[in-house]
Amino acid sequence: MKKYELTEEGRDYLKKGLPEKQLLDILKKQPLKSMPFDDAKKSVDNFFIALQWALKNKWAKSFGKDLVLGTYPKEIPEQAALEKIDKGEEVDKELIEKLLQRKLIRKVVTSEADKLVGKEITNLTPQLLKSGLWKQVKFKKYDVDVPVSKVYPGKLHPYRQVIEEIREKLIGLGFVEAKGPLVELNFWNADALFMPSDHPARGIHDIYMVKEPREGAVKDESLWKRVEETHKKGWVTGSKGWGVWDAQLARRLILRSQTTAVSARTLANLKKENLPHKMFVIDHVFRPDVIDAKHFIEFDQCEGIVVGEELTFRHLLGYLKEFALTIGAEKVRFKPSYFPFTEFSTELFVYFNDLGWVEAGGSGIFRPEVTLPLGVEAPVLAWGLGLGRLAMLKLGINDIRYLFSDKIDWLREKEMVM
Amino acid sequence: MPTITYDKRDLLNLIGKDLSDEQLEEVIHLIKPNVEAMKEDEITLELTPDRPDLYGIEGLARAIKQYLGLIIGLKKHKAENPKVQIKAGTVDIRPYIAAAVVRNVTMTDAFIKSLMNIQEVLAETIGRKRKKVAIGIHDFDKIIQPISYTDANPDAKIVPLDTDEEMNLSEVFDKIPKGKEYGHILEGAKKYPVYTDAKGVFSFPPIINSDRTRVTEETKTLFVELTGLDKESVLQTLNILVTNFAERGCVIEAVKIFHGERPEITPDLNPTFLDITLEEINKWIGLDLKKVDAVAILQRMGYDVTESKGTLRVYIPSYRTDILHKIDLIEDVAIGYGFNNFTPELPNIATVGKSHPIEKTSAKYRHLLTGFGFQELIRPVLTNHRDLFEKMNVERENVIELENPVSEDYVCLRNWIVPSLMKVLSVNKHVDYPQNVFEVGDVVVPDDNEEIKAKTVRKVAFIMSHSKASYTDAKAVAETLMKQMSVDYKLEEASSTAFILGRQANILVENKVIGHFGELHPQVLENWGLEMPCAAFEISL
Repeated sequence: MKKYELTEEGRDYLKKGLPEKQLLDILKKQPLKSMPFDDAKKSVDNFFIALQWALKNKWAKSFGKDLVLGTYPKEIPEQAALEKIDKGEEVDKELIEKLLQRKLIRKVVTSEADKLVGKEITNLTPQLLKSGLWKQVKFKKYDVDVPVSKVYPGKLHPYRQVIEEIREKLIGLGFVEAKGPLVELNFWNADALFMPSDHPARGIHDIYMVKEPREGAVKDESLWKRVEETHKKGWVTGSKGWGVWDAQLARRLILRSQTTAVSARTLANLKKENLPHKMFVIDHVFRPDVIDAKHFIEFDQCEGIVVGEELTFRHLLGYLKEFALTIGAEKVRFKPSYFPFTEFSTELFVYFNDLGWVEAGGSGIFRPEVTLPLGVEAPVLAWGLGLGRLAMLKLGINDIRYLFSDKIDWLREKEMVM
Repeated sequence: MPTITYDKRDLLNLIGKDLSDEQLEEVIHLIKPNVEAMKEDEITLELTPDRPDLYGIEGLARAIKQYLGLIIGLKKHKAENPKVQIKAGTVDIRPYIAAAVVRNVTMTDAFIKSLMNIQEVLAETIGRKRKKVAIGIHDFDKIIQPISYTDANPDAKIVPLDTDEEMNLSEVFDKIPKGKEYGHILEGAKKYPVYTDAKGVFSFPPIINSDRTRVTEETKTLFVELTGLDKESVLQTLNILVTNFAERGCVIEAVKIFHGERPEITPDLNPTFLDITLEEINKWIGLDLKKVDAVAILQRMGYDVTESKGTLRVYIPSYRTDILHKIDLIEDVAIGYGFNNFTPELPNIATVGKSHPIEKTSAKYRHLLTGFGFQELIRPVLTNHRDLFEKMNVERENVIELENPVSEDYVCLRNWIVPSLMKVLSVNKHVDYPQNVFEVGDVVVPDDNEEIKAKTVRKVAFIMSHSKASYTDAKAVAETLMKQMSVDYKLEEASSTAFILGRQANILVENKVIGHFGELHPQVLENWGLEMPCAAFEISL
């Protein structure tokens, strides 16, 4: 283990000789063993250092303008010391001091790494790698079952993972994602969907009403008129209509209770040249309810529509089946049902190997009383999915509150959704 | 959706064929209702609001018989010519009435049960809890004609059903349970709707009948009277009621109602019709049915069909109140065919799917924040002022409030997300720190320029909570987020009371504040019961 090492300069002189040695060697080569100062100055590195040491040791002396060789030494101790230090041999303390003074050597800094040589270590360090000393250490063995501290990944919410998976599949099936406002007009949430003004699901027990302001407006007056006429007498849809319509109720501001409001808005903005069109929405809806393990007042729906000429009920069943298969169902079954805005209306049951038959959602073909006032003549296939329910099945939870979980440890521990 | 329990033995008697539980369940599912429970002598169904004709056990049995082919096509019901008259006055608070006399009644236990059930269910559903339509059923032989429908003064007398006390109409609201339950329907009225006979008031709709005209086991003839706010609904309800009774062999006799001089006869049990072509049917259902198949299916669904010049004329029974449009008939063809007999088929249409831009951006923020090791939270948009403002040590702001909240914890919509995250931290004090959490979600802010007077805004928020959480921690993450998302932003000093003064900044984009971050004020931490420093961040996208 070296205590001292050569500096840059020291290493240079080890090769070329110390300046005083260089000077003596030149003088020795001169025929008269002397040369003018000026010439000597040009032929030696660091002439003044060389001169200082040569004169001090009486290896040379000045004679007028010339420098003359004195006693050519058998050995220049400093030169020998440099060689020894380089080889890692012991050197006289006095010489060490001199060389240190002349900055030709420096103390070797013993690193933590050096202390580890030959020992058993726990941590492999950058120093060990840098110095190459890793070759001279042993690595302490770990018990494979060693207890370790807990780490928590930064993670998406398990419910988000389910949502993302479904979004991905719908986009893959060619559906364009839509969004709509959370505060909504009754008009979009119900009237444009041909739900009668006195439909039981429009009361204060089923819809959250906005306190202030109470009313909004639909700027498209002709759309407003068409919906009004359809409710009252069927307009040109071929329907009997409901006989009545409550315009004030239609203007009432509420919290969206079904994502079908977004479907209605999408249809109203859909241009003929953009057909066929597939749209989906996954978003919040609100309904007054008790708050317990099975019910919450805010949840998500997943809904899709397909608009195109020549679409039929069989195609609706085709989409339902396709979608059910993409979410991992083995089989599907359909059952007649009722929704105010669709006719046909069907409920979808899906079969999962581990869960059996599960009611997955509702669907149908939008009634002409819905599509024609919105300006759509082509059939519109529509389906909606109870996203929360599906997510709960996928996550193996039976309390709906976990979907909005405030339990950080559960979120941290819950495995990734496969 | 109403859930109704039926007497299974009575149902099978009415069907006239012994079906196993499985067969019964299957045919009911094919027709539409959901079988909720099947017991030894009872069957419980969940029914859809479009088919009130199935709410009564007789109507359900009829539909099953038709579907099974035990009777073919439309079941004809006839109302005998009227012998009874009603003089109807102008009653503004309940203007529309309808009535019928039902003869040849045999009051079996099953019929009494059915009678009470159907009356109640129809008044609850089509009747909208008696407001739109109310039903009264009386022993006809106890009524002494002439019958009138009129409005009476509050001091008119009645002995309400199941009591023996004569009282003023105005006393009914407080003295008997039905009065308390339905009295609000007549709130504010100066005069009350009543049916009277020679002896006085015998019905006080929509509240209660008189005790003296009550139906008993000895009753031979029924008088059915309806009142309501919507004429169509009143007439439809009567049709459903009396055709149900007719299924038990009762004879329906019409009643002549005089509004002034104009007589009107109820019920009208004649079928209506809609014309439809085979092409229309096949176009919608996506099959290639032959005419003979389509006709057979329509008969199975209880319709009669005649044909002329390629058009099918479909006769619709008077109790099928759900048929508004021919699409409703076409759906019944699909139901009659059996939904599970269709081969599902994907149409050959190609479209390009894509995510909404706001979701695309949100996903990138979520990606970055989970990369920082933060846990995502999903929190309700509904909240309360205490959490949004008081606990956050800031002045109340204008937010969207609910008129009909169900819980004091959820009375308005959040306009920022940090309080939602604080609420989570406040119940996780026992859980390992650091707790770094985030949410990318919606808030709603009032906005008079919108049609809906509000705007949904997508926001990103995070909180870092640990013993050294500071302004600089939040700044490091905030600035990295903004840079990664290529947001050209500036910072300026901010002065929210939610944060420590001098340790907070506003984030500006094009000189508009889009968000803020900083060290939450100790008062805020104390308000939430937290003993750990928190640095928070929130921006609008």
